[in-house]
Amino acid sequence: MKRQVPLIITFIVGVVLIVSVFFPRVEGWNEDFSIFFDIIAVFAYFLGGGNLIRVHLDKVNKKKRDWGFSIVTLFGFLLMLAAGLFKLWNPGGFTADVAATGSLFQLMYDWIFNPLGATMYALLAFYVASASYRAFRAKNRDATILLIASFVILLGRTPLGVYATSWIPESFSLLQIPNLAIWIMTSPNLAGQRAIMIGIALGVVSMSLRLILGVERTHLGAGNE
Amino acid sequence: MEEIGLWLGAFFTLGIISFLYKDNPWYKISESVFVGVSAGYWFIVSFWDNLYGKLFVGVFENQDYILLVGGVFGVMMLLRLLPKGGWISRWPLAFIVGAISGFYLMNYFSSNVMKQVYSTMLPLFSNEFGEPVFSASVADSVGTIMVAVGTFAGLIYFFFSKEHKGVFGGAAKFGIWVIMVTFGASFGYTVMSRMSLLIGRMYFIFGEWLKLIE
Amino acid sequence: MIDSENSNKSAIFFVSIILSVFLPVLPAISQEAVDSADSSAGDPVAVFVPEPPRNVTAVDHNYDRGENVDVSWDLSVDDTSAMFLGYDVYRRAEGEGEFKLIGTVPAGVDTLQDRSTKADTGYVYKVVARTAQGEAPPVITERVVPDLEMVNFKLWNVFLIGLFVSGAVIFFISHAKRGKKLFIRKIAGLEAIDDAIGRATEMGRSILFIPGINDMDDVQTIAGITILGRVARVVADYEISINMPVARSIVLATARETIKEAYASAGRPDSYNDDMVRYITDEQFGYVAAVDGIMVRDKPATCFYLGAFFAESLILAETGNSIGAIQIAGTAMPAQLPFFVAACDFTLIGEELFAASAYLSNEPRQLGSLKGQDVGKLAAMVAIALGMLGTTFVEIWDSSFVDDFNWFIHRLFSIVS
Repeated sequence: MKRQVPLIITFIVGVVLIVSVFFPRVEGWNEDFSIFFDIIAVFAYFLGGGNLIRVHLDKVNKKKRDWGFSIVTLFGFLLMLAAGLFKLWNPGGFTADVAATGSLFQLMYDWIFNPLGATMYALLAFYVASASYRAFRAKNRDATILLIASFVILLGRTPLGVYATSWIPESFSLLQIPNLAIWIMTSPNLAGQRAIMIGIALGVVSMSLRLILGVERTHLGAGNE
Repeated sequence: MEEIGLWLGAFFTLGIISFLYKDNPWYKISESVFVGVSAGYWFIVSFWDNLYGKLFVGVFENQDYILLVGGVFGVMMLLRLLPKGGWISRWPLAFIVGAISGFYLMNYFSSNVMKQVYSTMLPLFSNEFGEPVFSASVADSVGTIMVAVGTFAGLIYFFFSKEHKGVFGGAAKFGIWVIMVTFGASFGYTVMSRMSLLIGRMYFIFGEWLKLIE
Repeated sequence: MIDSENSNKSAIFFVSIILSVFLPVLPAISQEAVDSADSSAGDPVAVFVPEPPRNVTAVDHNYDRGENVDVSWDLSVDDTSAMFLGYDVYRRAEGEGEFKLIGTVPAGVDTLQDRSTKADTGYVYKVVARTAQGEAPPVITERVVPDLEMVNFKLWNVFLIGLFVSGAVIFFISHAKRGKKLFIRKIAGLEAIDDAIGRATEMGRSILFIPGINDMDDVQTIAGITILGRVARVVADYEISINMPVARSIVLATARETIKEAYASAGRPDSYNDDMVRYITDEQFGYVAAVDGIMVRDKPATCFYLGAFFAESLILAETGNSIGAIQIAGTAMPAQLPFFVAACDFTLIGEELFAASAYLSNEPRQLGSLKGQDVGKLAAMVAIALGMLGTTFVEIWDSSFVDDFNWFIHRLFSIVS
């Protein structure tokens, strides 16, 4: 029974949401579900936050590797929680918006959270260069095609691409890099995107049906038949 | 006050960038602070927006009692902390999986299958392309045929129940080439935008913090 | 402190600029005023009151939740005049005393959709044609009561095609029960899982599993978790450790259930430890910063990235490359696939991510669903071919059959709201 009830819940809820698309009276159930999910996620935060505290406290207590940094993590987490729950330094007091300008919560967001996130994002510039360098040493035909296409698109958006092939006569203008870039985007790129998207959608349909019908049940820790 | 913010921002920016050289204590501090502060941040946002804003206000001010269902499921999730309570925490998971499966089945089907098929139904040649039919319209016709053939070949590549041999295998091979061109186009397109992110951070370091550039 | 001497100089400078611009044109402006005064003094004022629109109707919009009413009319005979401005549409709901303006449309437009009605409430509309100088008498509609239809018949095509594709999947799932062996082609990334985990065992290092950064409300995360169940079973058999940092709390709970069950079914329930799965943070780049740290410090031999990823995909894959790990990725985010393809050893492209769990299970029913997917792809190709033929022939062949066929095939795949 303990194993069956979750499968029955999945089946009923899945079928109801599929069918609700065709019945205007209950079409709004999708949005209601979204709100239920947000509420469930908040309760789940207690599990996640609790796990974070427990793991780092454990590291500190047992003096595991890098235990000192766990103190930093715990301090940052608890300070942010306090700043947000008690609305510390908030000019409007406890009833004001938690992210009011001048509040400790907003200051920590502006001074700590934002620069860290923006810098991690900026690291992508370095990583895309190293990934491109590896792709340059393409060892098979598929990687070579990927490399050539990316090169044409990249150059097509720069003045260098315009100058490099400006000597090509008008009758072969498709071979000029900017035109070639446009053709790649509107022809093979579009074809590939369509094939991938149709494939993904059919994969989602198939997996969803397996989940709803209970054929796939590893996520419930139920094993398979 | 602003100076403190600038120095903190610069400290953490350089700490993260130092990871490119190798793992070091400066990066570890930055990482630890980021994890702690960001985890706290999203907890607080979710607490005020969802627990208070949706559940508390919804139930006690708007009398929208159906929201209590979400609350009950939420409490069931927490019961996994009890030694014997783990099995009931599967019910909210089952609810979520069922709802997501049902919702996305229809959503992906209509937007990714039907719309994409509809958009590919273009004419092979048309009076609208140019006059007469077989002159200025050749380039458009070739483009349309390329899109259709490329889409077919890509779909053939993804076939699971037929071996990629013979003519079918040749079509599948062409399909993966088309997909590689797609990936290459996406890769090339994104490179420039990634570079601009780095320029933004460099401007912060050399402009706002060190004040070396206007 | 304001410097009063400089302030005076600035004021004089500013006034001089203004005068030097306007003085030369003052005679022209004053002449124009005189001319218009002269001309207007003599002509009578013409007030243009337009004719009202005709056949004004308000009709309930079908197959919605009663929140739309379509108001339409025949254009006023003065609609094409240069002085004509457009139409104002007013609404009065049951129980209200006054008409309220709900929208204005320009000349030449003969319809407006009111999107803020409520089902089972009566509404009356009035449409007023307008010029700059006058308004036509209002034309008031009959009372309309928008209602909530039971079934949205406009989606008949979605129902039919959905039934066909779902039916194919369900047919092959049940057909496979009868023991007929289905051929499924090899997917390199999935065939490599056993070897990749074996390599980790030989090196005495761990497996890192990243189920994406979205929550369980993303179907890709669910796909990643279903694959986790299979991978965890192999990991349990090989008796090595799996390290799974997660970015969402619900994923934390689900992953623990999944891995615990995998260890139990491998006959090693005591080897399972809740600390195999730990929560990091919901923040995308905070999570990636922590995972990068885990990678360079713990040096896992094999990394799995299976789920929904965004810009951080490249950071993860490149860091994995720097530690020499085998990397198997899979996502249905088209924008991230190129980075995984460029940086990882094996990549499951889109649909392959959703097929992976069925593939790894090797169960006939699950493999049957993959055949159903293939039927869907075949149907899409046939539909595209027929649609292209229809669109082409309707241009060059004047035939009612071709017109009807073309209309039907397009209607079959269009979403009408």
